[in-house]
Amino acid sequence: MACSGGGSSKVIKSVARQVKPILSLDKADARRRVVNLYKAWYRQMPYVVLEYDIPKNVEQCRQKLREEFDKNRHIKDIRVIDMLVIKGQMELKETVEIWKQKSHIMSYFKETVEPKPQGFLSKFLAGHE
Amino acid sequence: MMRMPVTAVLRKVSRVPAVNNARICAFSSAAPEKVEVFIDDKPVMVEPGTTVLQAAALAGVEIPRFCYHERLSIAGNCRMCLVEVEKSLKPVASCAMPVMKGMRVKTNSEFTRKAREGVMEFLLVNHPLDCPICDQGGECDLQDQSMTFGSDRSRFTDINFSGKRAVEDKNVGPLIKTIMTRCIHCTRCIRFASEVAGVDDFGTTGRGQDMQVGTYVEKMLMSEMSGNIIDLCPVGALTSKPYAFMARPWETRKTESIDVLDAIGSNIVVSTRTGEVLRVIPRQNDDVNEEWISDKSRFAVDGLKRQRLTVPLLKNSSGQLEQVEWEDALVRVAQALRSGKGNQVGAIAGGLVDAEALTALKDVLNRLDSELLCTEEIFPLDGSGTDLRSNYLLNSKIAGIEEADMVLLIGTNPRFEAPLLNTRLRKSWINNDLKVAMIGPKVDLTYEYEHLGDSPNVIDAVINGKDAFSKTLNSAKKPIIIVGSTALQRSDAAVILSKIQKLSSSLRAKGQIPSDWRVLNVLHRVASQVAALDIGYSAGAQKIRDAKPKVLFMLGADEGVISRSDLAKDCFVIYQGHHGDRGAEIADAVLPGAAYTEKQATYVNTEGRSQQTTSAVNPPGMAREDWKIIRALSEIMGITLPYDDLHEIRKRMNEISPNLTRYGDAEDANYFAQATELGNLINKPADSSPFNVPMKQLEDFYMTDAISRASPTMAKCIQAVKKQRESKY
Repeated sequence: MACSGGGSSKVIKSVARQVKPILSLDKADARRRVVNLYKAWYRQMPYVVLEYDIPKNVEQCRQKLREEFDKNRHIKDIRVIDMLVIKGQMELKETVEIWKQKSHIMSYFKETVEPKPQGFLSKFLAGHE
Repeated sequence: MMRMPVTAVLRKVSRVPAVNNARICAFSSAAPEKVEVFIDDKPVMVEPGTTVLQAAALAGVEIPRFCYHERLSIAGNCRMCLVEVEKSLKPVASCAMPVMKGMRVKTNSEFTRKAREGVMEFLLVNHPLDCPICDQGGECDLQDQSMTFGSDRSRFTDINFSGKRAVEDKNVGPLIKTIMTRCIHCTRCIRFASEVAGVDDFGTTGRGQDMQVGTYVEKMLMSEMSGNIIDLCPVGALTSKPYAFMARPWETRKTESIDVLDAIGSNIVVSTRTGEVLRVIPRQNDDVNEEWISDKSRFAVDGLKRQRLTVPLLKNSSGQLEQVEWEDALVRVAQALRSGKGNQVGAIAGGLVDAEALTALKDVLNRLDSELLCTEEIFPLDGSGTDLRSNYLLNSKIAGIEEADMVLLIGTNPRFEAPLLNTRLRKSWINNDLKVAMIGPKVDLTYEYEHLGDSPNVIDAVINGKDAFSKTLNSAKKPIIIVGSTALQRSDAAVILSKIQKLSSSLRAKGQIPSDWRVLNVLHRVASQVAALDIGYSAGAQKIRDAKPKVLFMLGADEGVISRSDLAKDCFVIYQGHHGDRGAEIADAVLPGAAYTEKQATYVNTEGRSQQTTSAVNPPGMAREDWKIIRALSEIMGITLPYDDLHEIRKRMNEISPNLTRYGDAEDANYFAQATELGNLINKPADSSPFNVPMKQLEDFYMTDAISRASPTMAKCIQAVKKQRESKY
């Protein structure tokens, strides 16, 4: 039983490796897309600050941009990277076309939002439940 | 002249021993032959003697009515329930007409509708058009029925000449607002007052156009059940004074809950709007409160807005209570509780505490190796004490009173300790010819009873057959003995209880009582007592006075049973509860809890019936649900209780006593014989001082707990009752 179990998981692994990529063919390709998106955002930042009239300067926005990309640094799966790139492009499009509003841009900077309390005692003290 | 209620006349006849209509009905018709009647051509089999209206209800047809009410006698004066009966020339009032064999009733024929329309027109001729400013608007029978059954056009043109009838408003006290012009003379309030409440103050004067419902002379309606006439009034003639112009029924959120201001556990509906309790109205439960509630249950809710504890408080260095954050309060309290070992930590629970909080507190103290958990109410612990559940329950149940033929009250005034129980007693006294006797102070119970004396020695005399009454008691087939918990607050309570146990088992030994009939009953005064005893609290604070603990946790203990002088000098007192009353006064730390309308919690009534309240509003300010405070405290103390939510704590309650979570059921309790035997072991002399009850008169009834003491309406009631006593009427 154990033998056959090991065999099937191997099969699954090999199948998983051979999944057809969506956009990027290899890691280098994916990286190229990420860098392109990053550059596009980077260049857009002065216009974002100007058009949305946010209380941040270009430096801060670029720092935030870096943070947002760094959040996903650990992702290795090419398909996931591609998906995130597409999402990032959509975000950028919404930003460029001013489909967003000021608050949507500022929500990237929401440091003040406290995490929801977990566990009985913190819920009790916070008044939740 | 005052109108004499129909039942008063009937009762005068029926109290003559030989003839009693109700009795004859109940006994001679063992298997009554059913009669077939046709309601809208639908055949129904009903017992002879039922009315057409009841038969129609069986057939699923609701006939409109104003004066008819299931729990009151039949008046038949509003004429709204007119229906067509085949072969009858005139329409008949269905509420008063008994069915006859083969009767064919048409409840929706042209003739019937015409009759209703006519009645409606007459009622509306003299009814003011003030629906927009009427408090009954939205829940008015007249409004609803005129929409359904009334004419679609008005023929009323006389507005400029003689106008509509106008009647002077009556002042019947601080609870009921009267706008007598709106009255349609259904006489429900009169019948309620004389039959259920037992106060023959209401009546009618004049006749025809000049008829008026009122008290004839200006007089307060001196009854503890008076608020129910607000619900009974089909129009806006009698409305709630505290609730006047507050809200419309469609704006309020209704939450089904339980009343906790006495030990009956009346079922209620709490109306709320914008996080505020606006009013309480009764919910039907035939096993408990039928459809009535007492005035305290109904009107004391405005006490929930005053004197509330909304923030945690700690005593500062200058001895003043100071507002602190929850964290600080919990840490300080945890520190204090941790400092005591074993029985140096004690707890005392008050009368409004729910079973969840009681469970959590007991678990915490047990984890600290302390068994010093008491309730404020005393119950004898000698003999079998609170070990046997049957010792402290109202074993025959509230509804069981209707089956009884003999009730002996000992040291209690049920009229004010449990108004709904007294209503049942009165109902049985009227309908079943129930005999009531009383050992205790002579009080007005609204019905006649045999007063045997007020000394405990009378119990001995009854047991030994020396009292003339014992013969009547021995001949009873279903006797009930109700002991008030007030009678058991005395120092010789154990002896008294064992005597009563002996009396009830000697009655049972006569052999004519059905084996499943329960004789011994205890009537409690507070809502939490039965649950506390079930969970394992010991009754009475004597243990705390003896132990003089270093730390005392008062869970809603507001009756001032324990004062600072009973405790060690450096005793750290923690009070948890919802009102700043006697308990919070002596506390070093105050933890704000939730009142009964603000939490989902379990209460066990004096029958042993567990019921749950549901939260209608949120606790005010920083107050939290009680068991959660204790649970949080336990975590800070490092002895985390193993339950995080309501479901889990109820599982724990189920482990302690399964009856606590069987909502709606009153589990039977047994071992009466064993309790009596254990009671025989008590060898103490009885005190011959007479029984006394704390609530003798109506003014004693209104303020009995932290909530009602904070209620301005209850204060007004006391004032009004005192003023009425001075009046010559």
